Amino acid sequence: MAEAQDFYEVLGLGRDATAQEIQRAYRKLARTYHPDVNKDPAAERRFQEISEAYEVLSDPETRRRYDAFGPDFRQVPPDVDPQTWARARARGGSQARPSAAADDDVWVSSGFSGVEFDIDDLLGGMFGGARRGWGRTAGADQEAELVLSIEEAYRGGRRSITVAGTAGPRSFQVTVPAGVTEGQRIRLAGQGGQGSGGAPAGDLYLVVRLAAHPRYRPDGRDLYVDLLLTPWEAALGASVAVDTPEGEAKVRVKPGTSTGKRLRLRGRGLPNPRGARGDLYAEVKIMVPAKLNKEERRLFEALAATSTFDPRRGE
Amino acid sequence: MTLALVPADRLDLDSFARATGLHPELVRRLVALGLLEVVRDEAGNLWFLPGQIAAAYRLQRLRAGLSLNYASLGVVVDLLDRISRLEAELRNRPRPHGGQPWT
Repeated sequence: MAEAQDFYEVLGLGRDATAQEIQRAYRKLARTYHPDVNKDPAAERRFQEISEAYEVLSDPETRRRYDAFGPDFRQVPPDVDPQTWARARARGGSQARPSAAADDDVWVSSGFSGVEFDIDDLLGGMFGGARRGWGRTAGADQEAELVLSIEEAYRGGRRSITVAGTAGPRSFQVTVPAGVTEGQRIRLAGQGGQGSGGAPAGDLYLVVRLAAHPRYRPDGRDLYVDLLLTPWEAALGASVAVDTPEGEAKVRVKPGTSTGKRLRLRGRGLPNPRGARGDLYAEVKIMVPAKLNKEERRLFEALAATSTFDPRRGE
Repeated sequence: MTLALVPADRLDLDSFARATGLHPELVRRLVALGLLEVVRDEAGNLWFLPGQIAAAYRLQRLRAGLSLNYASLGVVVDLLDRISRLEAELRNRPRPHGGQPWT
């Protein structure tokens, strides 16, 4: 089990919280972190902590003992004086723990499993058990983001990912198929929320997110890339190199190409394991020098004086 | 000879109750409340699709974890399903590809 946390801190309360405040804090947190409401893998553990804290603090007697004896309160026999306990602990550390006495722990009757307390037992009792007739409970499905670069989505391959778990972070090696797209889900069966009472765990879904790329803008399997042209290339036509994920490609820009025109490179987008590959669109963007040298200025001025072209008049 | 009126991958009430660990009477109640979907054959027997096992587990988790009563369970489950559908639509929605501004 994870390191003991302060139950008041878990619920975001001070030690003087009233029973109503405890219930209110628990209900609010339970709604936020319930594994069917919150699919983040980290929510499962948080929900367990919240539930455990509430189980202890909502019962006045258990709370009194928790306040008196701290996280070890379940191991303290019922009739021990808190000050004696504190002195014994200060003297002998863990040796001071009464071992035999704890075996007939009174807390068994309040739903806990005894000295070898375990959160799974607690949840097993809460979620199921014959006393409620609600049987055992399978774990909920979880979702985590898998952020990939366009290149990784293009090539596929093995990737490691770490997600939160009830017993600490869990790492997985996943095989990303070539040609995954934004929003696709990769299912890791049985790696979601834990089940109780022998019921199966849920599944973990990795939702693919494509990281922003300096050149490529994905749309499904199509990729968009800017094709930067000089005014004279756009006016006179040119053969220009374009970066694609599988290397450079040449595109022929026709004379008289304006900004916004899209040149399609068929099949040069992301691959598709089940069908046609995406296309790559090079979108023309005409750039002008920020500063003109003397000769450039003279030539542009000559052009301005000669040309009758006016895009605002729709010619 | 009895004709199989339902596909073999569907579960009868007892098998479903065993698979989920729920008491058959509780299963009947959940069906009556519209919280589990069933198919009834001509003899009035209940048949459950395998996907309903996960639905039953979710009802258990929600009821136990949030102390929900039966009426609110239905509302919560419907809303969660709706959110899942909308999230899936959002994931698969084509993005505007004009991309970065020109200037």
